[in-house]
Amino acid sequence: MRIPEPSAIRQNLLCATALGLLFLSAPFPRIQLVVHAMLVLALAPRPGAPLVGALWALAAGWTLEGSLRLYPHLGGTAWADLTLTLLAGWMAGRWPLEGLKGWLARLASLSVLHALLLHGAVRLATGPHPWGWGWFWTLLSVPVWGWLAWRLLHTGAGSGRR
Amino acid sequence: MVVRTARWGWSRTGWQRLALMLLWLGHGAWVLLGPNPGRHWTSLADALSRPSQSLASRWEHWRVSRRDAARSLTETRGENARLSAELAQLRTQAAQEAPRLAEADAAVRLLGLKQQIPLELKSARVIFSTRPATFGGLILDRGKDLGLVSDQGVLVPEGIVGRLWSVSGTQAKVLPADAPNASVAVMLMRSRATGVLQGQGSGRALIRYVSNQEVVQAGEAVLTSGLDRVFPRGLLVGYVGEVAQGDLELRVIVNLSAPLDRLSTVLLLPPQPPLEVQAPFLALEPKPQPKRGLP
Repeated sequence: MRIPEPSAIRQNLLCATALGLLFLSAPFPRIQLVVHAMLVLALAPRPGAPLVGALWALAAGWTLEGSLRLYPHLGGTAWADLTLTLLAGWMAGRWPLEGLKGWLARLASLSVLHALLLHGAVRLATGPHPWGWGWFWTLLSVPVWGWLAWRLLHTGAGSGRR
Repeated sequence: MVVRTARWGWSRTGWQRLALMLLWLGHGAWVLLGPNPGRHWTSLADALSRPSQSLASRWEHWRVSRRDAARSLTETRGENARLSAELAQLRTQAAQEAPRLAEADAAVRLLGLKQQIPLELKSARVIFSTRPATFGGLILDRGKDLGLVSDQGVLVPEGIVGRLWSVSGTQAKVLPADAPNASVAVMLMRSRATGVLQGQGSGRALIRYVSNQEVVQAGEAVLTSGLDRVFPRGLLVGYVGEVAQGDLELRVIVNLSAPLDRLSTVLLLPPQPPLEVQAPFLALEPKPQPKRGLP
């Protein structure tokens, strides 16, 4: 069974809400990282409109780095988010969703890839820095935010605009 | 057959892909540039300017070394000129002080001789020499004022000079031993044969009254015998230069050891000295060196 895509309005509204939460959750880095991963990997990718998703990913990356990230050279997170959003959108078009389990598994794998690419890009941009535990909390909470994104995006979605 | 011509320009999807590519590449380039992107341009400019900087450095180093070399050459020339002037000044000073040094040296040697002879010796300075003239002699700067009398023996560390011939108030004349009218009682060191030394001029003298039976060798020392009561026994007179057989006596030519032409200060023996005194002029026989390892 092929899952229909959500409407663009709903998706953009969800992305805007997540971006606001991302900005507001700056005092809580663990929550902020989870919201960031949810926005980049689950909410922003859209198979038919990669440019819109890329802009949301860039906004998420720059917002994250602009809030309490005192890197000497910003931009690594935004570039990693852009890459992962494009990859996730391409995967969504190439392998359409068929259920929640596949969705969660895809999000888990993308989370790992996102953590690696994020660390590498920030390392390239600013130099060596600690790994931290954000990747762990993000991976651990994949069922939560993955299920939430699934509910928000696809519940009641009938014939969404492509 | 209908041939469709493609519209000039890109579709909306193409523009979106171009924007995506530009966004991705731009962010990637921005990330790769890293902090302080200007350092890449700085490093590039440094790499490009390295040859010219190296050339300029070598040029500056060559100029500095050349300037240093020129400065050192100038300093060396100045140092040479200063040292040359100083050397000339020192030479002039040494030449001026040479006579004084010679007199001081002679005075020291005379003082040594005076301490070795247990007699009351007096010293006088030679102020003039008339030896080249016939019956010439040496003129001393002291006379009766020093208590000098005629026939006092005159000697220097190298040997005897002669005797006082005449004494005036402030000067005295020395008859040297090589004068033709001078005579000194002498003896040969080895044979102990005695004779009378008679001057022949030019630092040479002849010993008279030595028998043909005596064995005299060239180089043998000739000492005063003390029989003339002018010189005590044992003062060095000279060395035998030539020995020849005569009709009745040996003809012994003696080279006087005292440098009669280069005297500046002399010592005067007291009149009528004792016969025996220590003989400081004798060349000591070399002592046998003890062998190593033996006590």
